[in-house]
Amino acid sequence: MRASRWPAFIWSICFAGALWLAATELSIHSDLSDLLPEGTTNTQRLLLTQVRSGLAGRLILVAIEGAEPDELARLSGDLSKRLQGNAQIDFVGNGAQGLSSDEQQLLFRLRYLLSSTLRADTFSADSLRGALEKRLDDLRSPLGLLIKEYIPSDPTGEFLEILQSWSDREAPTKHREVWMSADLQRALLVVQTKAAGFDAEPQAAIQQHIRAVFQQLRKDSSSARLLLSGPGVFAVDIQQTIEQEIWWLSVTASLLVVVFLCVTYRSVTLMVLSLIPLTSGILAGLVAVNSWFGFVHGITLGFGITLLGVVDDYPIHLFSHLTRKESAQATMRTIWPTMRLGIVTTAIGFSSLLLAGFPALAQLGLFALAGLGAAAVVTRWVLPVCIPAGFVPREIRSDLGRLVGSLPKAKFVVPVAVILATMVLIWSDTPLWQEDLESLSPLSAGKKELDQQLRQELGAPDVRDLFVVEGTSVEALLMKAEAMMPRLEQLREDRVLSGYDIVSRYLPSQHVQQERLKALPDRGVLERNLDAAQKGLPFMPGLFAPFVTAVDEARSLPFVDRDTFRGTTLGMKLDSLLFSHQDEWLAIVPLRGVLDRTQLATAAASWGDTSVSYVDLKEESNRLMRAYRNRMTQLVGWGTVAIAVSLVVGLGSITRLGPVLAPIGCAVIVVAAIVKGSGESLSLFHVATFLLVIGLGLDYSLFFNRQEGTEIERTKTVFGLLVCSTTTILVFGLLAFSKIPVLHAIGLTAACGSFCCLLFSGLMAQREATDA
Amino acid sequence: MRRTIGSTSMMCGIVRISPFFLFGGLLLLGTLAAPEHASSRGDDVTGAWTVEQVVASLKEEREPAVPFEEATHSSLLSAPLIVRGILRFTPPSRLEKEVLEPYHERYVVEGDLVTVESERKRAKKRISLGDYPGLRGFVEAFRAGFTGDAAQLKQMYETALDGNREQWTLRLHPRDPAGRSMVEDIVFSGSGGRISSIVIHAADGDRSVMTLRRGAAK
Repeated sequence: MRASRWPAFIWSICFAGALWLAATELSIHSDLSDLLPEGTTNTQRLLLTQVRSGLAGRLILVAIEGAEPDELARLSGDLSKRLQGNAQIDFVGNGAQGLSSDEQQLLFRLRYLLSSTLRADTFSADSLRGALEKRLDDLRSPLGLLIKEYIPSDPTGEFLEILQSWSDREAPTKHREVWMSADLQRALLVVQTKAAGFDAEPQAAIQQHIRAVFQQLRKDSSSARLLLSGPGVFAVDIQQTIEQEIWWLSVTASLLVVVFLCVTYRSVTLMVLSLIPLTSGILAGLVAVNSWFGFVHGITLGFGITLLGVVDDYPIHLFSHLTRKESAQATMRTIWPTMRLGIVTTAIGFSSLLLAGFPALAQLGLFALAGLGAAAVVTRWVLPVCIPAGFVPREIRSDLGRLVGSLPKAKFVVPVAVILATMVLIWSDTPLWQEDLESLSPLSAGKKELDQQLRQELGAPDVRDLFVVEGTSVEALLMKAEAMMPRLEQLREDRVLSGYDIVSRYLPSQHVQQERLKALPDRGVLERNLDAAQKGLPFMPGLFAPFVTAVDEARSLPFVDRDTFRGTTLGMKLDSLLFSHQDEWLAIVPLRGVLDRTQLATAAASWGDTSVSYVDLKEESNRLMRAYRNRMTQLVGWGTVAIAVSLVVGLGSITRLGPVLAPIGCAVIVVAAIVKGSGESLSLFHVATFLLVIGLGLDYSLFFNRQEGTEIERTKTVFGLLVCSTTTILVFGLLAFSKIPVLHAIGLTAACGSFCCLLFSGLMAQREATDA
Repeated sequence: MRRTIGSTSMMCGIVRISPFFLFGGLLLLGTLAAPEHASSRGDDVTGAWTVEQVVASLKEEREPAVPFEEATHSSLLSAPLIVRGILRFTPPSRLEKEVLEPYHERYVVEGDLVTVESERKRAKKRISLGDYPGLRGFVEAFRAGFTGDAAQLKQMYETALDGNREQWTLRLHPRDPAGRSMVEDIVFSGSGGRISSIVIHAADGDRSVMTLRRGAAK
């Protein structure tokens, strides 16, 4: 008897060890980008890098509304001041921020290298004459005061030209110095965070901080509201939605299952016992994922536990077959071959998740696989030992067996269902495959709309469209960007897009700087030209001496490069537009208000420059998703073959393969038709869930087709299967009500799948037929 | 391709100074008045001439359009620059300064927006008052003055009134630092409800002198 205690003993030690590991080592991540795939092409990898850490992802769009414009402006100003000092925030913009005086001085000093209007003849007598006349007009005009102080040292107006060409032409309207929507209903701000947009935890902290500061600033009587949007806000939103959903779903699902099992078996002992394999499985999954990936993602945890609900079927099978005459170990030994085959096929199904190459699914796959293995081992060797001798759950009504026994008479239902399903699959208007990744997003349409609106009002770049320019060096890249500028301007004039930003607007190539330096005359020539130009104009004599000195000094200035602007807001801007990626340099050209994507792509192709590519992030991410779905579908195919092979081996007969596999195949077709018929298209997640359905279904099918002696035994089998299937349908049926599209997809597929598999397995069971 | 001045966030960083000369002229434009009525009203019991009375008279006797000549004296220049044109006011709040000589240019303030049209520069640009805090105060002061609200005017400016009804000067000194950094003071001279000249002294010593010839244009 002692020997039989060993498994329980070893299990206790392992369980305690795993518990300790989980408590000390477990690191749970919430960063959604951890779950993003690596990408297969260079563009995809770049895209994913951008999504992970790019500037666009780190912008939070802020709006304050619901009060008088003056109050909104006050709130905007105070909020911006209070946020400015936060260590997690790079930059706060509300329209009141110009360049610092240091930056202005820097630009002023470098004006002859940076000005895009500088030409070879800028300093000729004729050009100077024209410039000076313009300055006289400026002085006459009321607006002349604005530039008066720059006239003596910059009569050709290069400095103001730089500021104008650098500034965003579509900045929002201003009211009391701060950005407002055109109707003055909203004050607008942008906050650039240090943390990547997908890093939900720090993002949540920053957003919490912004809200708290706003609450403090807001007078109690004020009706002003704060609106936040942007990728970081979405990430937090998604994360919270998922957490909440997973929480209430798992609590409700657990309650339902517990209540159901209690009602069915009327035994608390049994309830507790059935938890042993499940908890062991969850723990094993956690430890496995944590040691392989270094962390467990919160989402893996949530989905994984749901997926592992399958292992609850194993103790149920055991309980259903217990008798007074036989020890639990003996019962286990009788049903083990069938159970083992079910476990193996389910494991094959789960391993496709592991191989899909999609990190989110791989974690899930490993979690489920490790959990499944652990739960199987525990059910086989530990659970029977723990069952008190002579423990038998309540008697089952024997007419159940007869009822089920008569099921195959209704066999015709299956072909009818399959034919109907095929018709739905062929004629339904819903596209078979889900092509738009966005439809999987749990964000409400209202939130997406608000984001679009704020983006438009702020003139912030869309996160969607950009050009990527590649170069072997910064200089090569800048020259390419310079060549691109007139083309972009053309696209803007043709209204293909409404705006863009490009690095060469701020940083000229050395080649161009060299050209500009060449245009600077030496002191004698400039003085002569200036004298000629000034003749007859009422400027004070000697007024332009600072100008002559400045031009002279500019001739020996070193070239402007990225380091010139390091540590300034301009430097930050440059870093977001130009960076090194692997061995090369990349420039990102964010586009705004793209109206015609086809025309844009055609135009880009017609430039015939392979180092410039137009990227539609949305299209690109959809393509990525499509690639993974195709791979997943292939894996499901191969998985099915592997399952069939292991079935042949396990059953020891190829003829019995048909009856076992057929109901499952029919069920998959019918489920696909149900999904499509309900107006949904199949996504990666539906496909992944098919694996689960196949795993579950085979389990049912194997038990239905088991060669069993007595009517009573058969009744027990059927009863066990009903219990298993009902728990599965309860759990996944609940998921189908989730507002998160992915959970809904999984839930609907698995619940329908479980039901169809059970029904079809019952209907198509061979045993009765052979007996009859 | 030319771009417009002042429409931008970066611009306002450096150019946070305001076109006072324009609005100096416009400030009390709506209050330009005919002298015939001037002597008949406004004196209080003690016979002193007050800012309230000036503002009230100006409102009472304003004209829709007045020709002007403006001379800009600057340390950059060896001789003053002269422009001539017409100031216009259209109720309730449209102000216009049209330059006719030596070139054609138009500045219109309407609500929060300043539109500038320049024939010589072939440009039409719009500036938001929100970009120019000093200017905004100025326009609000004008609106206060126009509606006869001396209290509002006094809130924006330190006022000093010299002389009597027949010959007075009203000196406005901005209270707001943004305004002071640009303009030392604005001096209106007039008689009764009529302004004869507006002198704006810039903080750097430059000045603009605008002389109004009322009754010469409709």
